[in-house]
Amino acid sequence: MDFAWTDEQKAFRATVRQFLQDNLPDNWEHIAHGPASKEQTTFAKTFCGKLAEQGLLVPHWPEEWGGRNVDPWIAFILAEEMWMAGEPRGGQYMNVNWIGPTMMLYGSDEQKQQHIPPMARGETLWCQGFSEPESGSDLASLRTKADKDGNGYRINGQKIWTSYAGDADTCFCLARTNPGKNGISIFLIPMDTPGITVRDIPSIIGEGDIHEVFFDDVVVPETARLGDEGQAWEIVGKALSLERVGIPRFALASTTLRKAVELLKAEGRFGLGAVDQAAKAHAACEAARLYSYSIIDQRAKGRIPGPEASVGRFATVNCERMVADFVVEHVPEAISGQHPMLLAHHQRGIVAGIASGAAEIQLNLIATQYLELPREPR
Amino acid sequence: MDFELNDDQLAVTSELEKLAGQFATSPVDFHGFALASPELEQQLEDNGFFELATMEGMGPITAALAVERLAKLPYTAEIALSMLVRPALNMELPRPFAVVENSRPGRFVATAKTVLVIDGDNVSVAHPSADQVESLPDSLFAYPMAKLKSDVELTALSAEEADTVKTWLRIANACEMAGLLQAAIDATVEHVSVRKQFGRPLGTFQALRHRLSECTVLAGGVRWLALKAAWSGDAGEAAMALLHGQESALRVVYDMHQMSGAMGMTLEMDLHLWTYRLKALLSDLGGRGGQAQAVAQYCFDAA
Repeated sequence: MDFAWTDEQKAFRATVRQFLQDNLPDNWEHIAHGPASKEQTTFAKTFCGKLAEQGLLVPHWPEEWGGRNVDPWIAFILAEEMWMAGEPRGGQYMNVNWIGPTMMLYGSDEQKQQHIPPMARGETLWCQGFSEPESGSDLASLRTKADKDGNGYRINGQKIWTSYAGDADTCFCLARTNPGKNGISIFLIPMDTPGITVRDIPSIIGEGDIHEVFFDDVVVPETARLGDEGQAWEIVGKALSLERVGIPRFALASTTLRKAVELLKAEGRFGLGAVDQAAKAHAACEAARLYSYSIIDQRAKGRIPGPEASVGRFATVNCERMVADFVVEHVPEAISGQHPMLLAHHQRGIVAGIASGAAEIQLNLIATQYLELPREPR
Repeated sequence: MDFELNDDQLAVTSELEKLAGQFATSPVDFHGFALASPELEQQLEDNGFFELATMEGMGPITAALAVERLAKLPYTAEIALSMLVRPALNMELPRPFAVVENSRPGRFVATAKTVLVIDGDNVSVAHPSADQVESLPDSLFAYPMAKLKSDVELTALSAEEADTVKTWLRIANACEMAGLLQAAIDATVEHVSVRKQFGRPLGTFQALRHRLSECTVLAGGVRWLALKAAWSGDAGEAAMALLHGQESALRVVYDMHQMSGAMGMTLEMDLHLWTYRLKALLSDLGGRGGQAQAVAQYCFDAA
């Protein structure tokens, strides 16, 4: 057991930090005010292009697709530094973390050639068409239908709470081709396809973050289907396992906490109550960090992380909430827009337990798979 | 980073597991609090486990793993201080160790050959004789508790040595708490898996499943923080680990007793052995407030 970074890992972190220092503008904190704002999404396209030019957008991808096959530790250091900086990749982190790798595993040659290179160049934004008005955590109950129509499919239905849909180029969309859990298929649908309507849903997490997406007689060719008919459950399971520990949210929480403490110290407001709360939140952030590292360690050894991923995810939810609470209680002016980065964390902190699979689902997985408690009756 | 044990550590933990197996079950006729085992202590001594931290290729991280593992036993002995605090001090001090803080009763004080006496910022060393200690057999804390009489001769440590004591005491306690938290959770998981109400095991009810899962997240976090602190010896990491341990203990102790229901109130289920050890460790070095101050000092540069 050893908690030391290698020289290579330290050097890579320094490279990423230098890149961020050189490429984030002076007004970055103001650009980063909303995770999916127009301003940040536009900035992300330029920024991701620069990352790609420096080999820092998809270094963990295979060489064939523009990567360097770096190990999971290097990929995670990159993600950590990005999140500490307020995630300037915007919604493109999804391409990097799971959409690209999932397509490499399950895509046809044509799909790979069409979709992966633009992701590797940082030119394209995707959205995730999973949740529906009646299907959130119970994803298997989704109703959007994809009926066979000649050589393609005719898609009808509604997606909701879809992040980045307003600016996305393509939707990674789940639709039902047959009844039951094994009757769901995945379609890669250009967002400018006739019949798609996107409506912004005003939300507490900032401008442009969540949407309704309507599919009215949207016709797609058979080649838009990813994998076989009915293979969505398997593919999504794989994709979510990549996503679950792929986001080092604790890194942004930890940075936010430090910024808040520095503000309070500078103003002589870091008193006993704040000290107590900050210390607890700091410990929670570091616990979440170590959980995540332990999972990356498994990945680096070629293993598929088990229920430990859910334990780590919930630890991250805990720390995000503690930091968000700390800011609200001790730096309330941040919520009134005085400190944009603190506000941006607060907005992300709110959804900590909702995005990428509800926290309660993680608790169920821990209970059943990690503690091996008897299952709940169904 | 490598979160798995190396071959040497695996060999040690395997030997330790064999030793621990002999002490895994409490005696059926024991219905008390302080289940101390001189035999456990002797076997650890005879097999050199108290020297783990200074052994080539082992170090404090291996000692920390041993402390955590042994804390899961229903039996206890003076282990954590000897394995982690004693090696950090560059002095020849006989074991067993004990800590007395601000004149309060301490664990293993009655049998200690070295007592670290903490009084505010000052730390001294004492070697009390049998007539200079007073056992407290009625204590609810599940360790043998005793207090030091006032006529003990004290040798003051330097400020640097005092800081070393505090840092490694935090690490030792955090490692012990990690094992205690997990043992309390394991005992409760076993109980709710077999105890049936309303026609099904208690562990099938989501209200309990989620709370057990949340407590598991806390306990595992304490373990990683404690192990990392033992690896680094960093004062801030030590304070964080103990703070997370003390904070988590408050939640876990309450929840485990609640879920164990009336069984958890009896002295027949071993749960109290772990929870009343956790309670004993709650107040060390100023409790959560004391640890928070140390985190602020070392991690946020705020004295």
